Amino acid sequence: MEPLESIRDRILAAVPGARVEIVPNPSPSGQHSLLVDPEHALAVARFLRDDPALRFDYCSNVTGVDWLDKEITEKVRVRLRIEGEEREVEETRKHIRPGYLEVVYHLYSMTLRHGPLVLRMRTGNRTDQVRLPSLTPVWRSCEFQEREVYDLFGVVFEGHPDLRRILMWDGFQDYPMRKDYVEPDDYEYEPTPHGIVAEKARRHQTLVEPKTPPGSAAPPGSTTG
Amino acid sequence: MDPGLRSELQRHGIFVTTLEQLYNWGRSNSLWPLGFGLACCAIEMIAASMARYDLARFGAEVFRPSPRQADLMIVAGTVTKKMAPQVVRLYNQMAEPKYVIAMGACAISGGPFKQGYNVLKGIDRYIPVDVHIPGCPPRPEALIHALMTLQQRIAEESLTGPDRPRHLRPDQPGEYPVPEFGPHDLVPPKNPEIWHPPAIRRPA
Amino acid sequence: MNSIGTAQIGDGYVTLVVFLIAALLFALVPLGLARLWAWRFAPPKPGPVKNGLYECGLESHGDAWRPFKSSYYLYAIVFLVFDVEIVFLLPFAVAFGGLPLGAVLAMMLFLLLVVEGLVWAWSKGVLRWA
Ligand code: SF4
Repeated sequence: MEPLESIRDRILAAVPGARVEIVPNPSPSGQHSLLVDPEHALAVARFLRDDPALRFDYCSNVTGVDWLDKEITEKVRVRLRIEGEEREVEETRKHIRPGYLEVVYHLYSMTLRHGPLVLRMRTGNRTDQVRLPSLTPVWRSCEFQEREVYDLFGVVFEGHPDLRRILMWDGFQDYPMRKDYVEPDDYEYEPTPHGIVAEKARRHQTLVEPKTPPGSAAPPGSTTG
Repeated sequence: MDPGLRSELQRHGIFVTTLEQLYNWGRSNSLWPLGFGLACCAIEMIAASMARYDLARFGAEVFRPSPRQADLMIVAGTVTKKMAPQVVRLYNQMAEPKYVIAMGACAISGGPFKQGYNVLKGIDRYIPVDVHIPGCPPRPEALIHALMTLQQRIAEESLTGPDRPRHLRPDQPGEYPVPEFGPHDLVPPKNPEIWHPPAIRRPA
Repeated sequence: MNSIGTAQIGDGYVTLVVFLIAALLFALVPLGLARLWAWRFAPPKPGPVKNGLYECGLESHGDAWRPFKSSYYLYAIVFLVFDVEIVFLLPFAVAFGGLPLGAVLAMMLFLLLVVEGLVWAWSKGVLRWA
């Protein structure tokens, strides 16, 4: 497969106006990816599929990622006048990078036997700008997986032929794979809990019976968690 | 009747029985399960019904494709919240008397998927379970053991009196409410009439 | 009427009647016993879900008596073709070594008839499901 930089340059030449960035992956696998802007994603996808040197004809995987708002601290050097004397001071600034939802596509070429090429798209935020173009018209295998991303993350794919929930029932209102999902509190009976389940069982107990007198003798047969 | 006298009579070729014993003997040796599986545990259930483990020795090999003909529901596998109403409805559609075996960690408590967003934490929240089998998955021997336990319990049931089983008492319901799909969870999340988990107190 | 003749006819019918009664009792006694048992011991517990249509656990909509696709019927017929073929082919294959020429020819004729049905169904497009 040709290097990612040259793929990006060829995309930029072929699709005028597209904004494509390389997202580096610092892990040992070094699987860098291409970040595409949603407006031109469909054209970029068509190019990747049809270009004779690339021919990405198979989309193996569609994934959703939820990025919460993140507080970023950075150190900036500023020049200040302190007591009439100009000095360079280091200052810490904090700003909040707003969260977004991200969809990741893994592309392979069956004909040329190369891949994967990792393609990313990001939504504007996590609440009301969650629309992204569907790539199902380009790769048919995206259909169910985009439905799954819609079901679990709440990304709305425009141009999807049949966008319904797939794992949860129609009428379910939450998006369970989002990081701020609150699950129903049904940890009533946990005889042998450990780890997070022990935490949840204890929280359930404090929610349901908050007036258990402290230090009261536990009834026989009860377990301590 | 005195069991000593009965075995003495049997030695002379005279068999004495009661209607109750005959009834329970017939039922416990022809437990027909409802043929459905929900996840990996179902594979073990299938293995148990095949030649190597041979559930047919216990009269329980006739997996019925319809709840009207089944006596036993083997809940083998993960009960997702999307599937739970169907399982409860199938149980309701079975004819009396009916029994339930919850097979595997998933069916009795949610198992490895307990913290999943879509897994019911035990089918006994909605229907009465007679035998629980722990394990992930339980081996076919465990299923056979559960079946024998159930057979034993059926053999001990009495036809009359205050402690007669559920299906002979007019005050016990023949069907249980089917949960509905709610906006955040199943509604209701459990049936408090039949699910009474023992209270566990822990230091907070 | 001849008395011997009547006796003979009567004898024949008596056995028939006895058989008929035995057959009826064989069928009705267990049913009656079950009814009696239910009345004495088992309280009826009907309910809207229990008496509802069986739809593999899903909620049923509408009536069970609805017309279904005629292709299912055609499929059943085509299935018969294969079924009958297998039933006769197996003994044919087992006895193949010792068969006279006439039997082989007859069998081939039979196969031809059955395969003809399949070819007809095929050409009619029955095997294409849509
Ligand atoms: S208990 Fe284990 S084997 Fe059984 S269904 Fe659950 S995960 Fe699968």
